[in-house]
Amino acid sequence: MLEMTEFRFHGRGGQGIVLAAAVFAEAIFREGLYARAFSLFGAERRGAPVTAFVRAGQERLMPRCRVYRPDYVMVIDPTMTGTAIPAGLKEGGVLLVNDRESEEETPFLSSLPPGGSYRIYRVDASAIAWKHHLTIGSFPAVNAIMVGALARVSGLASLESVRAAVEKRITARLEDNLQAAAEGYRQVKEVTAVGRNFQARSL
Amino acid sequence: MPVEMITGNRAAALAVQQAGVDLVSAYPITPQTAIVEDIADFWARGELGGEFVSVESEYAALSYCCGASAAGARTFTATSSHGLAFMHEMTHWIAGARLPVVMAVVNRALGAPWCLDPDQGDSLSQRDTGWIQLYCASAQEIFDTILQAFPLSESLLLPCMVVLDGFYLSHTYEAVELPEPEQVKRFVEPPRFAAQVDPLQPANMHGLASGEEVSRLVRERHRDLQRVPAVLKEINERFAAIFGRRYAPAEGKALEGAETVVVTAGSIYETVVSALPGLDKTGMIRIKVFRPFPAEELRSLLKKSEARRIIVIDRNCSPGAGGILAQELKSALYNDGSGPLVQNLLLAGGIDLSPQMLRQLVMEAPADCSGDLIMEQWGVDLR
Repeated sequence: MLEMTEFRFHGRGGQGIVLAAAVFAEAIFREGLYARAFSLFGAERRGAPVTAFVRAGQERLMPRCRVYRPDYVMVIDPTMTGTAIPAGLKEGGVLLVNDRESEEETPFLSSLPPGGSYRIYRVDASAIAWKHHLTIGSFPAVNAIMVGALARVSGLASLESVRAAVEKRITARLEDNLQAAAEGYRQVKEVTAVGRNFQARSL
Repeated sequence: MPVEMITGNRAAALAVQQAGVDLVSAYPITPQTAIVEDIADFWARGELGGEFVSVESEYAALSYCCGASAAGARTFTATSSHGLAFMHEMTHWIAGARLPVVMAVVNRALGAPWCLDPDQGDSLSQRDTGWIQLYCASAQEIFDTILQAFPLSESLLLPCMVVLDGFYLSHTYEAVELPEPEQVKRFVEPPRFAAQVDPLQPANMHGLASGEEVSRLVRERHRDLQRVPAVLKEINERFAAIFGRRYAPAEGKALEGAETVVVTAGSIYETVVSALPGLDKTGMIRIKVFRPFPAEELRSLLKKSEARRIIVIDRNCSPGAGGILAQELKSALYNDGSGPLVQNLLLAGGIDLSPQMLRQLVMEAPADCSGDLIMEQWGVDLR
């Protein structure tokens, strides 16, 4: 079988999740790997759930179907909750979420089904986006930030490649997006549960 | 050659730009929209070379291409699903008028109910219109196939659909090798087919004809469509000499010793090929050229295998008949069996069946059909 890493992104229409997948694939491609990104959506509506997929590997040949057993799941909106979020996530896989920093269980964390054997990483991308006044309509524009965080967590793209990919794909507010992506890259932390409390650990 | 991360739709738009079209007329529909947006954008920046004409419907888009092509212009349009269904009348007309229009069809299911997923029934249901149909399996292949479609179409005077699955191809970002414009110019020469009409000397064309005349014209089109594999082979030789890639009407993988052979068309190909190393004694064939149907190529590919089982994957259904690829494959395989001879009398054009013709057909058994179990006969030859 082919060596391949598979990602599934969850977000809402209007949050730029399709662009996030394209930017992430572009960053991986700049590392000399093959990558593909695609999305599925209904009639494009703001706020409706949108799923995007990325595959990365050393061979050009990859399946052209949805990702059913992801190595990584990335959630760019913490109000996307429910059992569908970690569905199919591989044992030892990674769940990366844009969620507020807290030692308490956040609504997102408490929505996760029990018994998952994956690691959870968190970055408060919305706070970084607000700080840089990055918005898409009324949403914080977190896509570049989340791509930065995912590049760090997966180890598949350097910050330099992320910056190059953001420059190539994101035209609006480029400087702010570049800075925000770097903050996402640096600020992402692993979250571990201790009883009902959660501890964040820097990478 | 620079390699860029682009979508299948973007690959289509860039190929159209590089091929040097005279006219693009199109109407946006999901999931084809980005092709039209990109081409309109090239035009607005003065980077298209030809004209882009925005119209009120798909029917008008294809009609516009019809008129421009009749005046000798290289034309392109793109659509999906309901847009293609709306164009249906013009697809017949353009094929009958022998106009080499090239159209990208981005597969999408037809309603009711509304659905955006990539059912291939939209393009497959146009199979009887006389268009060449080429099914792509990657963004690179979309780019390459559109470049090849213009010389193919123009040398045979047959219109051509370049087909790509919605989302799995149209919206997938992937690496595509984009040639230098000079390389493309060496491959796609300016159109040389004769104009049927001079816009300064308006004329009424394709007026009323008899069934017999139409039958002869249909026969000519049918035979010219069957020349596609030979012409495509030459085109691919030239293409490979410049770009280093080539495409066959049907392509096999891991067929030697395979007891199970998977057959499909379009983007599913790479999903199956990726899985082959984990599947015991399994090979696969993908159909690239669906019209004309590559029956001979499929039979010879299957002969390389030890197939006792063929799995046909059809992302479509012709209600009442089943999967369309399966129907066509079964018909191609009949010739390898031991069933009775199927003698096929073609009365295309709507010509009459006379008692004399029927008698001739039944009483004069064909002397030699060189082992074929399927034999075509044309009514216009029997009277």
